[in-house]
Amino acid sequence: MPLGTLERSAPPFFKQGPSALSRLAVYSALAVFLMVADARFQLTGPLRLAVATVLYPIQWAMLKPVELASRGSGYFQSLQEAQQELDAARQRMTQMGQRANQAEQLELENGRLRQLLALRDRLQTPAQAAEVIYDTADPFTRRVVIDRGQTGGVEPGSPVMDEAGVLGQVTRVFPLVSEVTLLVDRDQAIPVLNIRTGARGVAYGDPVAGNGGGMELRFMPANADVRADDVLTTSGVDGLYPPGLPVARVVRVERRADSAFARVYCVPLAQVQGARHVVVLKPLPENALPRPEPAHPAPAKRGARK
Amino acid sequence: MIMPRGEPLLMPVNPVFIGLSLVVGLAINLLPLGRVVWTPDLLMVLLVFWGVHQPLRIGMGVAFVLGLCMDVAQSALLGQHALAYTVLSFAAIAIHRRLLWYSVPSQALQVLPLFALAHAIELLLRLVSGGIFPGWWIFLAPLLEAVLWPMASWVLLAPQRRPPDSDQNRPL
Repeated sequence: MPLGTLERSAPPFFKQGPSALSRLAVYSALAVFLMVADARFQLTGPLRLAVATVLYPIQWAMLKPVELASRGSGYFQSLQEAQQELDAARQRMTQMGQRANQAEQLELENGRLRQLLALRDRLQTPAQAAEVIYDTADPFTRRVVIDRGQTGGVEPGSPVMDEAGVLGQVTRVFPLVSEVTLLVDRDQAIPVLNIRTGARGVAYGDPVAGNGGGMELRFMPANADVRADDVLTTSGVDGLYPPGLPVARVVRVERRADSAFARVYCVPLAQVQGARHVVVLKPLPENALPRPEPAHPAPAKRGARK
Repeated sequence: MIMPRGEPLLMPVNPVFIGLSLVVGLAINLLPLGRVVWTPDLLMVLLVFWGVHQPLRIGMGVAFVLGLCMDVAQSALLGQHALAYTVLSFAAIAIHRRLLWYSVPSQALQVLPLFALAHAIELLLRLVSGGIFPGWWIFLAPLLEAVLWPMASWVLLAPQRRPPDSDQNRPL
């Protein structure tokens, strides 16, 4: 039997390299460093971009069979269902056409009134259509990936909406795809306005509430005028979301004696679970609304903090 | 060389085959199936398998790099999979002398705690860094990975089980 046919060769005697434990320590330290740099300081963008570019061909190739399967199942959908959907879409289009005609007239009227009052013109936000490719596999966050990236002119921070309302915000942009953090993600916050009362607030994602997740309107005083079925829209005070986009509907208000704040649960109006066609809006330009100068902090008192 | 009795002598492994299996595992892991928490992580099975069978070739460096790839692909916290895979690879190297003396089903039972440990590390890291709890289904993943172990050892050792010189009766 030739010498090379046996699988178990003797391990090298002298050239052993660092021990397993020291290698474990080095790689673990590197991983911990990366995690801190990623979560706290957001330093890892270039590394992420490089690895994502290398991985893109594999991801693209693996997307094809999944797409094919979903398209195949759609192909065998019954004719009746398709016709029903068509009828529903036609009805909706008629209703929307009526509203659009009214809106044109109102816009004209509004423009004149605004001129009369010498108010600023409302900003037009450019938008582009995109398609959701897949949900990210990470089970600890709520994000989706859309098929427009840097080459399509998507900017980080752009609001994303579907036909019913705001869906989320672009948080990472890769050359050909970008990542949208949904409103129900725990780290996502959006400034809103209650259109019944005009009260402004901030809604946070709360994926645990209810089934499939929802949102929570935080920091509302316990005696605030919030009721179930109130509709929240973007308020526009952040200078990023255009004002007036529908965001969520209040489903439940809990007022507790032990807390100064009411707990207000909402559900997003957009289709968070299965959105397919979305619109990416350009974030409002920086100088759309002049920001107030930050108040000068009072000179620190001596001995207050050492 | 001391070997368990009845164990067949294996051919030397082809490094290209190891690399190819890892790339295929990565590709299957990248299938965009959406947010399914219990999907078994194929790369974990492969890393433990090659760490046990070829500890001189597949070690913590490879595990770390593959972990980074998984982090970017899943858009998870950068370093989360890298740390889990590194610890997993270390554990595989630590048990590699002992494990091959057992039969394949009991091997599966012995690697189950390793997979559970790796998933627990990921879960803990994300809960500490402010993620949400993804649901109890996540504990199904290590079980499925342990179930995949016998299949992996059958498929991945198949090229090494070929006879050294093929003839008419045994073409493979």
